[in-house]
Amino acid sequence: MFWSVIAANRRKTVLLIVLMGLLLVLSGGMIGMAFTDVYHPFAVLIGAALAGAVWIAMLLMSLFASDTILLGLSRAHEVSRETYPQLFNVVEEMVIAGALPSMPRIFVVDDPAPNAFAMGKSPEKSCICVTAGLLAMCTRDELQGVVAHEISHILNQDVLYMTVAATMLGSILLLSDIFTRSFRYTSTVRLASRSRRAGGRAAGPLLIVSLVLAVIGPILARVLYFSLSRKREYLADATSARLTRYPEGLASALQKIGESADTLTTAPSATAPFYIVNPYRQHLGNSAFATHPPLEERIRILRAMSLGAGYLDYHRAYVEVTRRREKLFPASELQDVGRVGIREDGQTSAPVRPARTESARRAGDIIRALNGFAFITCPCGLKIKLPPEYREARFVCPRCRRAHLVNRPDGKAVCSVLSGSAVMSRQASAGRAEPLNRSGRGGRDAPMPQEVCYQPGAWQKITCAGCGHEYEISPRFRARRMVCSGCGATIRLAPVHEPDDRSSGIQT
Amino acid sequence: MSTGTVVFIILTGAVLAVLLYIVFAYNALVALKNQIKNAWSQIEVQLKRRHDLIPNLVEAAKGYMAHERQTLENVTRARAQASGAKTVPDISRAETALSSALGQFLAVVENYPELKANQNFLALQEELTSTENRIAFSRQAYNDQVLFMNNKVEMFPSNMVAGMFHFRKGQFFELEEQSGRAAPRVSFG
Repeated sequence: MFWSVIAANRRKTVLLIVLMGLLLVLSGGMIGMAFTDVYHPFAVLIGAALAGAVWIAMLLMSLFASDTILLGLSRAHEVSRETYPQLFNVVEEMVIAGALPSMPRIFVVDDPAPNAFAMGKSPEKSCICVTAGLLAMCTRDELQGVVAHEISHILNQDVLYMTVAATMLGSILLLSDIFTRSFRYTSTVRLASRSRRAGGRAAGPLLIVSLVLAVIGPILARVLYFSLSRKREYLADATSARLTRYPEGLASALQKIGESADTLTTAPSATAPFYIVNPYRQHLGNSAFATHPPLEERIRILRAMSLGAGYLDYHRAYVEVTRRREKLFPASELQDVGRVGIREDGQTSAPVRPARTESARRAGDIIRALNGFAFITCPCGLKIKLPPEYREARFVCPRCRRAHLVNRPDGKAVCSVLSGSAVMSRQASAGRAEPLNRSGRGGRDAPMPQEVCYQPGAWQKITCAGCGHEYEISPRFRARRMVCSGCGATIRLAPVHEPDDRSSGIQT
Repeated sequence: MSTGTVVFIILTGAVLAVLLYIVFAYNALVALKNQIKNAWSQIEVQLKRRHDLIPNLVEAAKGYMAHERQTLENVTRARAQASGAKTVPDISRAETALSSALGQFLAVVENYPELKANQNFLALQEELTSTENRIAFSRQAYNDQVLFMNNKVEMFPSNMVAGMFHFRKGQFFELEEQSGRAAPRVSFG
């Protein structure tokens, strides 16, 4: 039962956060002592209250502003079912699998670096953000793994916990910074005189203790914070495997992300823990100061899950790969979850994936469509993308000189662009009539059908036999016939390298 | 304080504790029952989605697959049977048949490159893939809930409360693995 694992993990997280809070209050108290009279009865209390106030101010600020700041900084656009059906479907599947109370909002960030993050203080109000680079490079299964990882961050309320922890860390750093600075600038004479004023009692040792705490405190807080962050990454990976029942999806997505040369340009450094992989390439490896566990380790754990996709399997793989004996999940919750099997990969039944350049182009188109570009698909095979700055009502195709009306994009235009270019679907419907024509009734609808052999996937010239008009066919041109713009005759194109199609084409 | 009062207090305390436990256990069971109901309605929504999608898919494929009448008819017939099923075991059986018919259909589609390039068909196929995933995931969520409920109903001491208020065990929603997905048999010699 993943919800009980999550609940148990939540208790542990709360414990760690309480520990950080204690550290915060302690360092506040010490600073209070150092600034006022050492033995003043309220010195510790005042310092602690000050520390608390700093933390609460930071917390409120980040809680109320975090969503808008992060989304604004990362240049995110919200997408709907119409604009990117596959992403929307994948998110909806994971919402069902994780029994999330409501559908998160989905954003696409215009950035070539593959990455993703989740936002939202509660599972009811959340959003998921993926970059255009991720969409361009991942298969459906990989995308599903990444989205499941983000959904489990939402399920675990990681954003809330990490915000609380991050602000605590921030205020501890701030306080110790103030303390060490003041210590540096106030001469030891003043401190000595202060201790003398206090009645000659030995204030020295206390001061040394507070000094040590001011140095050690931030380091300790950092270690606590980053170990918390890494724990929650492991948990999100495990939940992702559990939800998708396909650990390989996330593993190969992580691998692709790790191999990509792009780094995220839009991420502010404070937001690093919210991403699926740290956007700032840390070369610290297994250090105590990394927000994320090393990528290779995460991939190896996921790939070592050979027997099942449950938490127990993840835990076994974790122990096997890292040789660490610590408990990721409470043992009592591991008993009955081992029976979750791994499913087959979805590639056999999934639609044919376009090639990588193709999907990169599609992702670029989505961003352009959202930015108000107009799309025209010319019958000559050229896809024209007009920026919103182009104000003319007509546009002449640079290749075939055909004039087009420019339709400024509304919701519908965006859909037609994204569900495949308009001309492609028209060719497809033309292709549907083809088999009938081939079986004896060919040429029924065209005045003068011609047949031209052509090689798909290469630039080439074709001449209309009726009027002598020349056409250049692009490698991406896939239609089986075209209408000559000069004389209106139908030119049927028979591809030469596919034996099946050729034999059936010759019959007509 | 006399011994009588002490005994009285202990007894009242024990009775109160038992009553409190019964109230909590009862509420937990009711919550579980409703969760199961909710999970099942989620499955039904997804199965309905699947049934609505299939005629569109068959319609889109018809023009290309004139020679595969048998496969298309199988899918349509399996769909009709599945949408007529009422009880959980019936639905399981009918949906399994539908899954295998769909699997065959998708295998046949592989032979029609033109169909596979059709944007309309591709969009439908993405919807179908997503729907199949949703069915799988909602089934998993439902079965998790049922397992949890069944453990509660059978295990001591919650089984006593369950027996008192006639909570019954839930039925798992099983779909047998499609034949197309089974590992290929290899024989030597």
